[in-house]
Amino acid sequence: MGSHIETELEKLKGIIIKIGNLAESQVTEAVKALLSEPVTEGKEVKKTENKIDRLDVKIDEVCQSIFALHQPVASDLRFIMSAMQISNEIERIGDLAISIIKKSKNIKDKHDLIVKFSIVDIARQVETITIKTNECFLTRNESTIGEIFILNNTIKNESDEAIHNIINEMKINSKTVVSGTNLVIVLKHLERISEHCTNIAEYVYFMINAKIIKHEKFDDKKFDSDNLD
Amino acid sequence: MHKIESKNINFYYGETQALHDVSLSMKENTVTALIGPSGCGKSTYLRLLNRMNDLIDNTNLTGSILIDGQDIYAKNTNVDDLRKNVGMVFQKPNPFPKSIFENVAYGLKVNGITDKKIIEERVITSIEQVALWGEVKDKLKKSAFELSGGQQQRLCIARALAIQPSILLMDEPTSALDPISTSKIEELIYELKNKYTIVIVTHNMQQAGRVSDTTAFFYMGELIEYDKTKTIFTKPSQKQTEDYITGRFG
Repeated sequence: MGSHIETELEKLKGIIIKIGNLAESQVTEAVKALLSEPVTEGKEVKKTENKIDRLDVKIDEVCQSIFALHQPVASDLRFIMSAMQISNEIERIGDLAISIIKKSKNIKDKHDLIVKFSIVDIARQVETITIKTNECFLTRNESTIGEIFILNNTIKNESDEAIHNIINEMKINSKTVVSGTNLVIVLKHLERISEHCTNIAEYVYFMINAKIIKHEKFDDKKFDSDNLD
Repeated sequence: MHKIESKNINFYYGETQALHDVSLSMKENTVTALIGPSGCGKSTYLRLLNRMNDLIDNTNLTGSILIDGQDIYAKNTNVDDLRKNVGMVFQKPNPFPKSIFENVAYGLKVNGITDKKIIEERVITSIEQVALWGEVKDKLKKSAFELSGGQQQRLCIARALAIQPSILLMDEPTSALDPISTSKIEELIYELKNKYTIVIVTHNMQQAGRVSDTTAFFYMGELIEYDKTKTIFTKPSQKQTEDYITGRFG
């Protein structure tokens, strides 16, 4: 039988996996909405959002209780510190996904635009990075962390390029301004989701290696991920 | 130069080896915490630093312990002088059945100081150093047993300080005290390290974290890890240390 703190840590891990999976499903729904695929009913999405919020609070409560009752140190301390941050990042991923779903409804000629500006790839990559983020927390696989850093960089570059092209299109054709603006907002949200995933990967890296790598430049992170073995 | 430098210490109680090749050095004006499960050798190591283990029959030591560069186990070492330089505070407060004043003055008198003025000055200074003066200044002639456990322990620390040591050894000094008294002793340790080199044995991980600069983890007579306290409690290099401080031992 595990010690009391181990039971609490397992419980915390379970909640994070759960909230991570819920956020992943919200991102999937958001991408579907953007790519004009059939979306789960709005009610379900709202329900999931509420679940994410409740679990976010639950994680804070469990962490507070572990701090107060067990005074964790070393790897336990790093896990709990990371759990609090990860929960916050996940909750924001959920909010951004909801916002994408809402914005996607207001984009006219959406299908043509997303094809024209290669947004399908970006959306699929954001789905992938979300899945990989949950995987890296679950398995603590350091090579997955490296993949997340690389993928985030790709998403950022491709999104920047798409936004640049959309703005140029809006300059030429004023009829596309409303849809184009909404699309830029959606792209920014996708980028933010990818950033939150990267932040989570950084916390997982901290959990494993006791090294804080947030705010490091991409090249430095890449260097680290190249030397993970 | 380190204040305390122990090299390749092996220590035996009869046939039983209690310490295995322990090398550990401590800088002046630092607090070092010795942690580890019961029977790991931390108190044995502590008692070697003022030769308290000499009082136990059938013990044997190999290796060397230097204090200020002098081998304290050399044949020409005066053990009384050593113990004046290396004071000790024990787990349970152990005041003498004397007045508060006499408790602190006792060590001075035993060491041949007869000048009443000097004794009085030293007693007052020592009691002030342990932040007890305000609580006892009006009852110095009363029995030390009238003090609370926490006050008694601070009095014992004052008694140790009165003979002006440069090193203070503390063997679980707060294990018998309530949280408020514990907190006072911990604050005191923090203050005292400006003047003394302190080595403390503790079973309380949080206390080790709060009061010490460096921490040594002992297990089965071996020194498993010795590092800055911050490192030990955030990123220990040895799995055994991690398991112990996170409570997953055994």
